[in-house]
Amino acid sequence: MRIEVLGTGCSKCKRLFANVEQAIKDSNITAEVIKIEDLDAIIERGVMLTPALFINGTVMAEGRIPDVKEIKAMLTE
Amino acid sequence: MTETQKCSCGQNEPKRIIFPCAGQANVGQIINLAAVQLTEEGYGTISCTALLAIGAENLIANALKSDEIVILDGCPMLCAKKIAEAQGLLPGQHLILTEIGLTKGPSKSYTDKDIETVVTACWKGEGRLDTSLISHKKNDEKDTRHGCSCSSNCSSIR
Repeated sequence: MRIEVLGTGCSKCKRLFANVEQAIKDSNITAEVIKIEDLDAIIERGVMLTPALFINGTVMAEGRIPDVKEIKAMLTE
Repeated sequence: MTETQKCSCGQNEPKRIIFPCAGQANVGQIINLAAVQLTEEGYGTISCTALLAIGAENLIANALKSDEIVILDGCPMLCAKKIAEAQGLLPGQHLILTEIGLTKGPSKSYTDKDIETVVTACWKGEGRLDTSLISHKKNDEKDTRHGCSCSSNCSSIR
């Protein structure tokens, strides 16, 4: 599983990254987590609002921070 | 308190209203500061629980219009939750500090770490009582809004 957190590194992006790490730990799964902070790379992905969360290439959340429970549900979808 | 970096991120965050118990003990002080930090970080908007207790109609109307009501209580007395429920407000999230590792009194002192513990718990959704907000987001929003003020689904312009 490939999880990408897109954001320029502000506090909200860090909150999302922490939630993703917690969700992975709670779900006991193995996943590759990538943080994308480069603005050009973020725009190239079509993200207009940060932070954004991609799972296996699909945008799951944009412009908001899903909590741990919601991310866990996304991981099992 | 941690200084918060201002930015335009998080524009799709649900509109949350936060009611801290604001009690006299250390946990009440921690909660107030955590609610201020959560407001500065864009998680929600701190509101006055004392004003809610006297039944302020505008405040109750605003709370009912929000996407989610977040209640922060310092201890198992649950004062803020009881005040909210007495006014017909049901929380989507309810956090009790003594249940997330903080100790009430006897000292009035606290640290920045205590405040951060509460803020982090809120962002992680540790006090979530149901999944209504999640399903609301999934069914109605699907994260396709582009942050404008029209409140409509702008995915067609993508």
